[in-house]
Formats: sequence, C-alpha cells, structure tokens
Amino acid sequence: MKTDSEIAHLRRVSHWKLYLAVLLIVFGIVFVLSLNLGYAHIPFSDILTILAKQVPILDNLVGSSNILPKHEVIIVQIRLPRVICGALVGAALAAAGVTYQGIFRNPMADPYVIGASTGASLGAALVIVLGVGVSLLGVNSLQILAFVGSLITVLLVYNISRVGSRVPVTTLLLTGIAVSLFQNAIVTFLKVIAEESLLHGLVFWIIGSLAPTESWDKVWAILPFILIGTAVAYLYSRDLNILALGEDQAQHLGVEIEKVKTILLVSGALMTAAAVSISGLIGFVGLIIPHLTRVLVGPDHRVLLPTSAIVGASFLMICDALSRVVMGSGEAPVGVITALSGAPFFIYLLRRKRKGYTV
Amino acid sequence: MVVLTIDGIDCSYGSVNVLKDIQFAVNSGEFLGILGPNGSGKTTLLRSISRVLKPQKGTILIGNENIYKMKTVQVAKQLAVVPQSTPVTFDFTSLEVVLMGRNPHMPRFKMEDKKDLAIARNSMELTRTWEFADRPVTELSGGERQRVIIARALTQEPKILLLDEPTTHLDISNQLEIMDLIKRLCKTKKLLIVAVFHDFNLAARYCESIILLNDGKIVAVGKSNETLTSENVRKVFNVDTIVKKHPITGYLHVIPISRPINQQQKSLSIHLICGCGTGSPLMKILKDEGYFVTAGVLNLLDTDQETAQLLKIPITSEAPFSPITEEAHTANLKMISKANVIVITPTQFGDGNLRNLNAAETALEKGIPIILLEDGSIEERDFTKGKATKYLTKLKNNGAITVKSTSELLHFLDKLENKNNKNFHQKKEP
Repeated sequence: MKTDSEIAHLRRVSHWKLYLAVLLIVFGIVFVLSLNLGYAHIPFSDILTILAKQVPILDNLVGSSNILPKHEVIIVQIRLPRVICGALVGAALAAAGVTYQGIFRNPMADPYVIGASTGASLGAALVIVLGVGVSLLGVNSLQILAFVGSLITVLLVYNISRVGSRVPVTTLLLTGIAVSLFQNAIVTFLKVIAEESLLHGLVFWIIGSLAPTESWDKVWAILPFILIGTAVAYLYSRDLNILALGEDQAQHLGVEIEKVKTILLVSGALMTAAAVSISGLIGFVGLIIPHLTRVLVGPDHRVLLPTSAIVGASFLMICDALSRVVMGSGEAPVGVITALSGAPFFIYLLRRKRKGYTV
Repeated sequence: MVVLTIDGIDCSYGSVNVLKDIQFAVNSGEFLGILGPNGSGKTTLLRSISRVLKPQKGTILIGNENIYKMKTVQVAKQLAVVPQSTPVTFDFTSLEVVLMGRNPHMPRFKMEDKKDLAIARNSMELTRTWEFADRPVTELSGGERQRVIIARALTQEPKILLLDEPTTHLDISNQLEIMDLIKRLCKTKKLLIVAVFHDFNLAARYCESIILLNDGKIVAVGKSNETLTSENVRKVFNVDTIVKKHPITGYLHVIPISRPINQQQKSLSIHLICGCGTGSPLMKILKDEGYFVTAGVLNLLDTDQETAQLLKIPITSEAPFSPITEEAHTANLKMISKANVIVITPTQFGDGNLRNLNAAETALEKGIPIILLEDGSIEERDFTKGKATKYLTKLKNNGAITVKSTSELLHFLDKLENKNNKNFHQKKEP
C-alpha cells in the first residue's frame, strides 16, 4: 500500500515546478554569460547594470554613471537582440520538435520533417540568387520569403496527404520527403546558376546563423509567431500525451484527433517558419533538445513542452556564444556548432540500451 | 442503465463494403461476444461503435443519443475501448497511462487532482497493476501492459466497455484472470460489455449472448448455447467441430476436428468392432479417406458411439451398460454381411461385448477378411477369463491379419481397395 505522498512521488509531473525553477536559473546565467562574450570586453557588473536600466522600475535604483555609452549601445542595440533572437529561435525549434514528435509518435521527427526547411531555403534562394525582392514594414524580403515558403510548404504537404477528412501520419511523412526532395532540386539548381559572390550568402543561410539578428526588428518580427505557436501547442499538450497511445485510442479518450492534429501542425509550422526566417536552417536543436529534456523530466508534454523550450533557448544561446568566439575574428555559423555537438550526442542517446524508445 | 443500439448499419472502407445491415441491442450488465473469421468485419464493427469509423447507413445509439451527433468527449465519458495491443511511443509510466483515462472528465486547464488519482489507483488495484505504477509501460510484459490498458479504460468510468480480442497475445493464466475481472465488473458495476473473440471456448465461457459474423453480416445471434452450434460454426468457419458441454466446467466446449475434406468416395465398406474410444480416431481417419464405415455393436453413451453419431456413421447399438442381446447381435451380423472388411480395434472385452467376436468369427467363415489392430498384449484387455483371447487367437489362426499401426492398416486397406476395384471392373467387362 502506498500513501498519498508516495503517489505524488510516483508522478514525475509533480516535480514540474522544481524543474522549471532550476532550468530558468540556468537560462538566466547563460543569458548573462552570452551577453558578456564578444569582441568588446564588458564586465559582468556593467552588463547587469545596463540590463537593470532597461527595466522601468529598476532604472532609478542603479547608478549608471560609470558605464561607457559605447558599451551600453553594444549591449542594448547589438548583443541583446541577438541573444534574445537566439533564445527565441532555440525555444521555437525545441517546442516545434516536441510537438512534431508527439503528433508523429516518432522520436526521430523534427520541425523540418514535413518540408518547413526546404520551403524556407527555396524562399531564401529565390531572394539571394534571383534577387526577388519585396519589403514589408521594414522587414527584408529574405525573411518574408523564407517564412512564407516554409509555411506554404507545410500546408501543401498537409493538403496533399489528406484523405477525406483524415490525414494519415505515414502519408504525411512520405509526402514531406517527396516535396522536400523536389524543392531541394530547385535549390540545388539555383546554387548551380548562382554567381559565386551570392553563393556564399546562400550557403551561409542554409547552414544557419544568428549573425543577421543584431537588431530589434528581428525580435519583434518573430516574437508574436513564436509566442502564439508555443501557447497553442501548450494548450493541447495533454492531447499530445494521449496521442502516444495511437490515434484510435486517443479518440476513444475524447481527443478530436483530426482537429488537434491540424492545430498542432499549424502552430508547429508557425514557430518553425518564424525561426528559420531570421536564422536559416539551424539543425539538430529540434531533434536533440526534446530527447534530452524527456530524459530529464519524463514524457508528459505539459512539462516537456515548456522545459524543452527553455532548454532549447539555453542550448542555442550557448552554441551562438561559441560560434562567436571559436574562430577568433570572424564567426562560425551556429548551425555547424549545433550539428557538431548535437550529432555525437544523438548517437550516444541511440546507443543507450535501457532507455530505448519504441518507435 | 444504458442500452447500446446498433440500428441497421452499413460500413465500408473505400468501395469495399465491410458491414451490411448490422442490427442488435445490448443492455447494461450484459456480456456480448462477437465471433467470426478473419475479415468478417468484427474489428470494423467495434471501430464503428467506438465512433472512429462512421457508418454510411444506419445509426448507433447510446440510450437515445446518436453517437455520431455527440461530441468525442461525451462519448468517451460513457464508452471505453481496450484494443488488442497498444504500442506506446514514449516511456510513460503505468500510472501516467492509467491517468490518461481521466482525460474526458477533465477541463483543459486542469491537472489531475486527488480524486482522479484515487480513481486511477482503484482501477490499478483491481487489475493488479498498482505494484508497477512507476514503471514505464514500454518495459512491461504483454500481459502487464494489457492490464494497464484495462485499468486505463476503467479509469474512464465508462458505462460501456468494448474489447477487441483483449487477450489474444496473453498466456492462459493472464487470459483467465483478465476475463474473470471483466466478467466480475460486468456483473457488479453493471458494465455493458461487447467483446470480439477469436477463441470459441473463451467466448462460450464468458458471454451470455454471441453474435456470429461472416462476410459483414450477422449469421446467428442469441444465447451462447443457441448460436454456438457445430452447424453454425461449420457455416461460418467451414470447419467441423464437436460442441459439447464440458463435464467439469459446465461451459460449452468447441473442439475443432478438421476442415471438411472432399475425398472421392471409395468402394470399400469397413465395419469396425470397437468400443471405449478405441475406434474414434479410426472412424475419423477412414471417413476422411473416403471409405464407407459402419460399427457395432456399441453401447449407447460409449465414446465410440458418440463419435459415430457426430460423424454420421451407421452403427448397431445396445442400451447403456447392457450386454449384447440376441436382437442387437442379429442386427450386427446383418450389418457385417454388407461389409468388405472388418477391423477389430484394441478394445477391452468383457462378457458384455464378447458376442462381437463371435460375430467376427461368423464373418470370417463367410470369407470377409478381418484385420486386427493390435498394440500391446491381448491378455491385458481381456476381462473374460481368457475367452476373448481364445477367440482372437482362433481368428488369427483362421487367416485374420494383424497390423501394428494405423498407417499399416491404411496401407493394407489401400491394397484391398485397388483389388476390389479391379474385381469390380473385371465383373463389369468380362
């Protein structure tokens, strides 16, 4: 016989407050450390003071006389938006990864699995190579076309896969592969005909980099999509749990699966499209982070989704910080760093015997 | 109280019509079994009742409400389903999976509270799964996992429970334990249960009523003992069976004999002198081979007599536990005179059936060949103080043939059959 406290102990979910607190502290530390890294040396105390100055109530309490205006500009106008973008992109990719792995009941799924990535790179290639240009509210055409390309591809794949009122998951995955291959062929063709000077930009974009995010417009451009996408996915996190038992059983438990699947696919696509639109195709975050977090907090999506977002944000901030320092002068694309650290870790996860996932 | 009404439903996958005009009703506290061959539409029927596959025609009602007009959640509050197996993607613990059963009762923004936990715990104790509440379901054995899924279904607090071959992958002790539990819940909690079965005997043991499904249509519906007859089973499964009440359990028992064989009828007519079950396997084999088989004299209620009745083999019979009367003996001699060969099985001989050996002797004198199937010594089954042994020895001395096994017997009969056919043709074309 187990007592009530033992029942509570049995339930990993009951620790969610602790997990969240610990991860938020880690996030905070990484955030400040990331602001510290860069060409100009700015001491931690100054960074904290500058950050405090940005908060309406705190700004009167801190003395800011000894801070160089140059440093304040670097932190507030350059490093802060970039670190925030890194956090947002990391959070979005991880949350979308959790969502897609849940919908597809497949731990190998990632945010790019149904074409979000090749759609975005096709959009980006059109802008970079052919110079297709549109501009909207100061947001550049590269970002808009990548976003639209990503979203349209996912919706296209979704509609092709529809059989009557149902969207079978296997069909969805296969259609995703087929459409991706098609778009990839076009991107490859564009690469072939591209002028050499433009090619470098395209390759850099496809690998993924946070270098172009050193301005606040980028933050404002993606923030609403990522907030809405994550919030909607969170609303349906209990349904994601139940989907682990298969679609028929989920329906037997009261989940309107076709509706829920559509909502979750769209919110995942929104998050992914927003993320790739400013940073290009940063790989592995959406695949690895959900796995890692699941090992830490268990598979319950009500806990997994928010914690994955925080872990993803912290992970991408760290990788971005590394990308800024590993090469001395100049930058390594952050996509290279995530892949270099992510792939071996993924292999390690696969080799762990006891925790083998049933696919 | 709740009534589940299936009212004339037609179901199809694409252009393939899987269910045709299915109609029945079940009440609370009833246990209905659905039996049928693979592809007969059993699972489709369950999917349709569980609101997964909408029928093209007809309605499914819980009480007075059409389930396809209800919300998914409303149906889930009343109806739970246990499938054949449940692959779980991530390593949720047993308790976490069982708690998912509370989903239809929980508002979107609520976490499970004490009451939900108490319900989950209660169903886990009923199914003996509480002891591994904190283990991941992915690490459980098939039987344990199925019990967790049943606990999850009970945690839904349904009025109706649908089961799709719930114990197919389980060993016999798990099968009985789970089915006993479900039967108990059916009676104590007045659960309405509809279960698809593969196993006749399991169905006969637990269901009050049974529906036999074939090719998407109901072939028979009613009380178990009315629907589970060897005629119905033959019609639906094309298999010969013996359906009997088991003497110990009292449940109907379905024993498959074989698929009907369309063997060409042979010319040889064989009379068996047998008893106590020694002739039963031979009757089946010889009949399958295409021989015309008779037997006698057999006491009524003798195992061989029951077999003969099932296989529709003509016999001469005598009242139970009575010695062979003059009347039966004469009838037997008449039957024997039409046979081409007589086979004596290694049965026991007592004063009651000694006359059968006398009949054999008469036949041998008339030139009808006799084959003795022997295993072991005669003395051991002679309860006539040597009279039977004397008879048998005399038969052997006068030309009766001894064979040691059924295959040797069949080989010999085959030769006899060929000879008989040749004679037959020679007579026809002199």
